[in-house]
Amino acid sequence: MPAGSRQTRSFIERTAAVLVDALERAFYAEEVAHEPGFLQRLDPRIKLLGILALMITVVAVRSLKVIAGLFLVALIIAVLSHVPLRSLLKRVWVAVLLFTGVIALPALFTTPGRIAGRLPALGWTITAQGLTSAGFLVARAETAATLCVLLILTTPWAQVLKALRVLKAPVVLVTILGMTYRYLFLLLETARDMFESRRSRLVGKLNGSERRRVAASSAGVLMSKSFDLSSEVYSAMLSRGFHGEVYALDEFESRPFDWIMLGACALVIAAAFWLGG
Amino acid sequence: MSVAEPAVFELRDVTYRYHQVKALDCLCLAIRPGSRVALLGANGSGKSTLLRILDGLCFPQEGSVWFCGQPLSEETLARDGFGFRRRVGLVFQNPDVQLFSPTVFDELAFGPLQLRWPTAEIRRRVSETLDLMEIAHLRDRSPHHLSMGEKKRVALASILVLDPEILLLDEPTAALDPKSESHMIDFRVRAKGGAKTIVTATHDLDIAEDIADTCCVFQEGRVAAEGPPSQILSNVPLLEQTSLLHSHLHTHKSGAVHAHPHLHRHEH
Amino acid sequence: MHIPDGYLSPSTCAVLYGSALPFWCVALRCVKSLFHTRLIPLISVFAAFAFVIMMFNVPIPGGTTAHAVGVGIATVVLGPWASMLSISAALFLQALFFGDGGLTTLGANCFNMAIIGSLAAYLVYHLLARRAAITASRRVVAAAIAGYVAINASALCAAIELGLQPLLFKNAAGAPLYAPYPLSISVPAMMIGHLTFAGLAELVITGGVVAYLQRANPILLAHAAPGARLAGIEVLEAARRDTARTIRSLWTAIALLLVLTPLGILAAGAAWGEWSAKDFSNPAVRAQIMAVSEHASPPAQTPRGLARLSTVWTAPFPNYSPSFVRQRAFGYMLSAMFGVGVIILISLFTSWLAARIRPGPGEVETEEA
Repeated sequence: MPAGSRQTRSFIERTAAVLVDALERAFYAEEVAHEPGFLQRLDPRIKLLGILALMITVVAVRSLKVIAGLFLVALIIAVLSHVPLRSLLKRVWVAVLLFTGVIALPALFTTPGRIAGRLPALGWTITAQGLTSAGFLVARAETAATLCVLLILTTPWAQVLKALRVLKAPVVLVTILGMTYRYLFLLLETARDMFESRRSRLVGKLNGSERRRVAASSAGVLMSKSFDLSSEVYSAMLSRGFHGEVYALDEFESRPFDWIMLGACALVIAAAFWLGG
Repeated sequence: MSVAEPAVFELRDVTYRYHQVKALDCLCLAIRPGSRVALLGANGSGKSTLLRILDGLCFPQEGSVWFCGQPLSEETLARDGFGFRRRVGLVFQNPDVQLFSPTVFDELAFGPLQLRWPTAEIRRRVSETLDLMEIAHLRDRSPHHLSMGEKKRVALASILVLDPEILLLDEPTAALDPKSESHMIDFRVRAKGGAKTIVTATHDLDIAEDIADTCCVFQEGRVAAEGPPSQILSNVPLLEQTSLLHSHLHTHKSGAVHAHPHLHRHEH
Repeated sequence: MHIPDGYLSPSTCAVLYGSALPFWCVALRCVKSLFHTRLIPLISVFAAFAFVIMMFNVPIPGGTTAHAVGVGIATVVLGPWASMLSISAALFLQALFFGDGGLTTLGANCFNMAIIGSLAAYLVYHLLARRAAITASRRVVAAAIAGYVAINASALCAAIELGLQPLLFKNAAGAPLYAPYPLSISVPAMMIGHLTFAGLAELVITGGVVAYLQRANPILLAHAAPGARLAGIEVLEAARRDTARTIRSLWTAIALLLVLTPLGILAAGAAWGEWSAKDFSNPAVRAQIMAVSEHASPPAQTPRGLARLSTVWTAPFPNYSPSFVRQRAFGYMLSAMFGVGVIILISLFTSWLAARIRPGPGEVETEEA
């Protein structure tokens, strides 16, 4: 099999790179969350509700202009919240365009409808309906992703969890999500260290099945570690009086400003539906 | 060994097996109230298992464990409500397993919340403990953003917030400079009148004198020797024999199968 | 297979959230009764594990890599209910922090991957493994196939959800408002990718992790395998060698299947069960059907059941030309299957040849998945 050490390297390096990237992203999220911006000052409950409502609106409205308007709203919020547009461009807009854009492209040609143009070299016909349809897909995906990233970038994770609890999500589920996020970092670090030490040890060639074995045994080691970890965490919880139920301490103070912003959000949504429902 | 006040913990012929491997072997031990005990032993000598048994997290297959004159078992622990969990606290060796909450504040509040303390009391105790451990500035941080030393301090704080009578510590200095750790313990003991019972498992001989008035040396799940630190620490042959000194000279019996690599147990 | 926001209509999203809800509720109750108070740390840590597994680049035969979902291995180790909850939690965090899949479509993604995936994996694993010993190579094969089937079942669900969008949601001018491709495109497009790359990645990870756990930590496999015997450590070595051989034959079988299915269909000139209702009244087609049906004469009239089925299928799609598009897409799928089969066969042959030329102590090990 023509799989040389270069390929082996790149497979292990790629995995390690993805893991490191994931770690760095998450750390970045916590940094922006402490900037003194517009979204950062909002009561997390109201922020969560408002942004989720805006996302649903983006998915529900049937006018491209209205979606573009909502995108503009997201853009203004981003600027007011000190979220660097450059990072949004790189992490959201280009990433979504590459994924959804590629998926939407053939729709220009395959969607039946009125012919709007022809591709110069190949002579394929582009339909107006195809253009609209691809536009909807890209616009919705971009706007919804921007809103979601704004929520995450401006809200410390612990506050998202608290807001979820206050909004009556079951405490068990919220606790699971919190703990998952917590141990995600531990396992990511473990996996990264595992791959990095493998990379430093590997000098010879690995063929395809050996590389598969490396991947599978890494996953297996991680699984064993996960199991040990979960029993250890369980002991630590038991030791502090846990007996199956979790309790939480949540208090939020919302100021008039928060309610005004919730009203503004409702107004934007109402306008969006009125114009493009 | 009959005294007026019953021992905090008394173990009678305790044997604990972990998947056919004996972690504790016919162990007898008594811990007096107010004493500071160091459990010395190499990795895998049964110290951690003993701490878990003392904390009521696992129960021996043979022998009996007594807590303040009452038998400690799964049934009695379930019946007694939270008296035991309130009075005994265990600080785990790996702070990552103990810090499972989203923020440092939530971590400290977890124990009190489970014990259903009133909200105002929880807030007061948590902020007191944060100040005491000098970690108030970490209040809203996530545990995965902390350094190892900070994690250890938060883990200790999450137990101290419950103000336990008996404090069990598993390798408290494993990733920390000994001075700051023993300083913290001394500080803690002085602040609360010094009537605490503290049991520390460690293989770090340097801190034994600071943290204990009694040392128990462990080997293969048994107590090999017991006495005041000065006596134990000067007994070089004993320390060598129990792998506390020159532990790297140990050889493993050939052909010993490592059924559970995460146990790091060696057979002699 | 992570469907982003904007691909599904709000009503579809609501329906799929609604479909996922009862499963989540039942799963919570089942896991609670199975694992008691262990539920929270167990599900949390395994959700984190699934998340990390989704980031692994899994090398698959042919020299490329693909991502697995981890639903196969989660089901094999934890059982279907705990797997459902863990994968759902992982999908939620992925959507929130990494933009893999949307929040409005979270219900759909959880339904496809966490719920359908876990149930499919569980069904296949238990049907195939039955009461085999924990260290039996049969379990490796069963787990590998379970992972493969689970991913493809999930992909099929996602493809159907996406393919229904343009039929149900169009604006006044007839432009699709959400995912623009009808079933005739979405199903083959999704399935080609998943029958090959993603499916193989899941197969490699599920089978490989089970093989690893059999050697290193067989107790983990006993949790979700009631009635299985846990063999002693001394038989592990033998089981391991046995596994290597079985894995090789598994690969060969899959490759042959992939190559022979399209060949068989093309040779016969028509696919069994792929005739449209119209074919039955066409004498030339009837002769062909008779040939592939081993000369059992087909009914001259369209069978009533088939006729009814075909109207059910075509009635909601007025602008839909079934025979032509389906034929072409089907052709793509066949050639993809054929290609992958050939690639696997070639790599198997090369490694077999390499082992003949340079026999070494690593020979047994290299053939493990």
